[in-house]
Amino acid sequence: MRLLLSNHITNAYESLRGNRLRTSLTILGVTIGVASITVILSLSGGAAKIITDQVDQLGGTIAVVRPGAVTKETQVNNLTASLAGSQPTSSLTEHDVNNIRDLPHITAVAPIMLLSGGVTAGDNTPGNVSIVATTPDLTKVTDLPMIDGQFIDSVTNRDTAVIGAQLSVDLFGTEQSIGRTFRTHGQTFTVIGVLKHLNNPINYNNIDFDHAAIVSLDSGKTFNQNVAHIAQINIKADTVDNLPGALTQIRKVLNTNHQGEQDYTVLSGNDLSRPSNELFSTISATLVTVAAISLVVGGIGIMNIMLVGVSERTREIGIRKALGASDAHITWQFLIESLAMSLAGGILGYFFGYLLAFAVARSFLTFDPLFSWQIAVATLGISLVVGLLFGLYPAIRAARKDPIEALRQYH
Amino acid sequence: MKASTTQPVIALKGLVKRYGIGDAEHTVLDSVDLVIEKGEFIAIMGPSGCGKTTLLNILGLLDRADDGEYLLDGTSVDTLSAGRRAHIRSNQVGFVFQNFNLVPRLNVIDNVALPLTYRGMRRLKRLKEASRMLSTFHLSEREYYMPWQLSGGQTQRVAIARALVNNPSIVLADEPTGNLDSRSSHVIMEELADIHARGNTIIMVTHNPDLTSYASRVIRMLDGRIDSDTKTPRATKPATAPKKRLDATMASSEKKPAKKRTRKTKKANKS
Ligand SMILES: Nc1ncnc2c1ncn2[C@@H]1O[C@H](COP(=O)(O)OP(=O)(O)O)[C@@H](O)[C@H]1O
Ligand SMILES: [Mg+2]
Repeated sequence: MRLLLSNHITNAYESLRGNRLRTSLTILGVTIGVASITVILSLSGGAAKIITDQVDQLGGTIAVVRPGAVTKETQVNNLTASLAGSQPTSSLTEHDVNNIRDLPHITAVAPIMLLSGGVTAGDNTPGNVSIVATTPDLTKVTDLPMIDGQFIDSVTNRDTAVIGAQLSVDLFGTEQSIGRTFRTHGQTFTVIGVLKHLNNPINYNNIDFDHAAIVSLDSGKTFNQNVAHIAQINIKADTVDNLPGALTQIRKVLNTNHQGEQDYTVLSGNDLSRPSNELFSTISATLVTVAAISLVVGGIGIMNIMLVGVSERTREIGIRKALGASDAHITWQFLIESLAMSLAGGILGYFFGYLLAFAVARSFLTFDPLFSWQIAVATLGISLVVGLLFGLYPAIRAARKDPIEALRQYH
Repeated sequence: MKASTTQPVIALKGLVKRYGIGDAEHTVLDSVDLVIEKGEFIAIMGPSGCGKTTLLNILGLLDRADDGEYLLDGTSVDTLSAGRRAHIRSNQVGFVFQNFNLVPRLNVIDNVALPLTYRGMRRLKRLKEASRMLSTFHLSEREYYMPWQLSGGQTQRVAIARALVNNPSIVLADEPTGNLDSRSSHVIMEELADIHARGNTIIMVTHNPDLTSYASRVIRMLDGRIDSDTKTPRATKPATAPKKRLDATMASSEKKPAKKRTRKTKKANKS
C-alpha cells in the first residue's frame, strides 16, 4: 500500500502551521534536549581530538597504565568518569613501575603521582594548583619545553621543583623564578626550571602543566607515608612496531603482580583520549541530565500535543476513514506530524547546540568543539527516535478510532 | 431480466442492530432482510429515528451489525479485515452524509479530492478530477473557499461532489437534498440519476416524496423494519426531460450573474 508520504507531509505542515504557538512550544522541548546532546558530543569530541593529536605527535609509541578496571567506552562515560588520581587508593605500585622499566623495548617509564594541597611563596597561595610527583623520564614521554632551567633529574636535589609558567607568575609575579623557593606540605622547594606556557589543560596526563609544581617521586612519597599513590604510569616504547609486543609484556607483568586481578587498565593509541578535566566532567554530567530530562519532557510534550490534536480532529478522522482511509493511513498522518516536530527540534537543537558549545569553549575551555557527520546523524537520529517513540501512541489511538463513533463527535 | 442471473450487490439476512445494554437496550434494526441488485436506484423513506442512517452506515461498512448476515458482492463482510473494509470504502462506496461532514480545515477542492488521496492518486490529478466534479455542480468558483464560507446548499453539493468523485459503484446518500429548495434538489437528483444511468447502484434516504420518482424502488421503513418495498417501473424517464430545464434555471440562478459581472467589467476595461 502506498503511504502517501508527500500528502502526509503537506498535511502535517498545514496542521502544524495552523497551530503555530503550540507547535513552537512543543518543538522547544526537543530543541533543548538535542542542543544539550550536541554540546556534549561536540565538546567531548573536541577534547578527544586534542589528545589524539597529541598522541599522534608523539608518534604512537606511548602507552599508559591507569588504576581501576576498564569501563564502558562511551564518550559520555569517559567524560563523567572521575579522575583516576582522585580515587582513595591506587592499585598501581612502584613495584609495577620497576618491572615495566625492566622490560625490553621500553625506553622510558614515568609514574605520575598527584598530591593534594597548595603551595605558598611569601603571601601568595594560588588556588587550582596541581602538585605532581614523577621521575625524570616524564620529559621523554611527554613534550615539556622549558623557558628556563632544567627538568628534575636523578642527580638533582630532592628539594627542587619545576613549575608551570602560570604558577610561576601566580607565586612570584614573574616567569623568571629560577632559584626562588616555595613551600608545600611543610617543606621548602627551590625552583630549578620553569615550563613553557602550554595552555593545554586537556591531555592524557590529566595535568594542567601551566598550574603544576613538579617534584621528584621520592619527595612525593614523603608527603604520603612513603607510599607512591600512582595515578598513572606513562610508558614509551622504542618504536611503533615494538609497542604491541611491549603492551603484551606489560599486561603479562601486571597480571602476575596483581595475581590476575584486572584492577588496572592499559591504554594506547586513541584510547588515551579518554578525557579527564574536572570542570569538563561537571559540565558534561549536568548536560547529560539536562539532555535526558528535556528529551523526555520534549517527548511528553509531543505526545500531549498529539493527543490534543487527535481528539480535536476525531471527526476528521471519522470522515477520512469513511472516505477510504485505512488505519495505516491515519497512523502515518499523525506519526509524520510528530516526526516533523521532533525533527524540527532536532535541527534547531543541533544549530543552537553548536552555538552554545562555541560559547562554552571560548569562555571556559582551550579548544573548539568538534564538527563531524556522526554528531549530526546522532542528534537527528535521537530526535527522530523521540518523535517516533512519543508519537506512536497518539497515532495508533487515532487510527483505532471507530469511524461511526468518530463521526458522532461534535465540536 | 438478467438481474436474476447476476449475483446481488447487497444481500441482508436478518440484520440486527442494537444500542445500549440491559434495560436501556433498544433494537434499531430489527431483522432486516433486503436484496439489492446491481444498478438499482433505491429510495429509503421512513420517519425520523426508524434506523435509516444506521442501515446506511452498515451498508457502507462504517458500522457493524450485531446479528444477521451482510453479503457484499457475495462475500460476508464479517470476514473482512479492517484494511479490506477501508479498501472497499475507498474504491466502491461513495458516502453522502446527512450532515455533510466536510473537513473544516480543508478548502472545497481539497475536500472533494480527499477520497482520491486514499486511492493513491497524485495531487495534480486529484485536483483536476475534483475540479471537474465541482464544475458539474456549478461550484467552480468556490474551489478555494473554506467550508464555513459556503451556504447550506453549496455545502451539500460539495459533499455530494466528494461522494461521487471516485466514481463509486455504490452511492449511499443520507438525505442528500435535506436542506435544499426543490430546484437545487432536482439538480442533485439529476446527477445521481446520471450516475445511476452509468450502471451504478444508488441507495438514498429521503423525506421528499417528489424525489422517489427518480428511484427504481422505494423502501419504507418503520421502527427498524422494512414496512413496504415497491418497485417503480419507471425510473430514468423523468430524469432526462427536466435536466436541461433545470440546468438552465440553475445556471441562471447561480452561474450567470457572476459571469455577466465579469463580462461587464471586461467591457468596461476595454472601453
Ligand atoms: N450511538 C447510538 N447510541 C444509542 N442509540 C443510537 C445511537 N445511534 C443511533 N441511535 C438510535 O438509533 C435509532 C435510529 O437512528 P438513525 O438510524 O439515525 O435514524 P434515522 O432513520 O432518523 O436516520 C434512533 O432511535 C437513535 O436514537
Ligand atoms: Mg438519519
